[in-house]
Amino acid sequence: MNDHTQRPSVVQTGVDLLTASVTARESAGEPYTLVTLSGEADVTNNDQLRDLLDAEVAKQPSHLIVEMSGLRFMDSSALHALLRANRALDRQGGVLSLVSPQEAVARMLHLTAADRLVPVYDTVEEAAAG
Amino acid sequence: MTLTYTTDLSPVRALVEAHARAARLPEAKVIDLVLAVSEVAANTLRHAGSPGTLDIWHDDREIICVLHDKGFISDPMAGHQRPGPEATQGHGLWLVRQLCDLVEIRSDETGTTIRLHMGIPQP
Repeated sequence: MNDHTQRPSVVQTGVDLLTASVTARESAGEPYTLVTLSGEADVTNNDQLRDLLDAEVAKQPSHLIVEMSGLRFMDSSALHALLRANRALDRQGGVLSLVSPQEAVARMLHLTAADRLVPVYDTVEEAAAG
Repeated sequence: MTLTYTTDLSPVRALVEAHARAARLPEAKVIDLVLAVSEVAANTLRHAGSPGTLDIWHDDREIICVLHDKGFISDPMAGHQRPGPEATQGHGLWLVRQLCDLVEIRSDETGTTIRLHMGIPQP
């Protein structure tokens, strides 16, 4: 499988609270963008998360996969950033998928019913195939 | 103990988590309480234009978190209505009300105090 690192961008706050990296990948010939989030996503780094997602959505990917197994915490502002990206992608005919949320993040997705709006998978491979 | 927060919510969450575990809240409730307090504190950062304070204590029956800032919540229905499924704003206080057993909000021109109660399951 090709794993071409296109634009590794790292978002760091003053306390390195949130790290994000972006790579372009493909699965069975289908390209997708993989965004890996780790740390904690809350209102204090929301602008950076939004900017990152906006930038990736602007590239009109057919599939944006957010791998979040390393994300310990997500608040409603971070959720909003994801839902915003989801809506924008949907308008463009693209798809957002989430992978492997930790318990606290899964709780947030479930309470808000966001997990019925955005597909959630256990692995990137399943998301890419789905 | 009183924690003052200004620009960083990670210490707020860490303190709540430590207290919740010390109070023997089950794991799922620990997660819920951390989330609820973080949402309230996030509102301080977003809207209050002042630092916030967090006081937290517990007895056998419940753990109580009190957050205070100099902001003013003018909407008496704040947090009572669930945002629509595709809403990209407004989940904060609604979430807090789902997560906690009791939420008390007092707000006037001198500031806002939000008191969160989480019951500790009895054996």
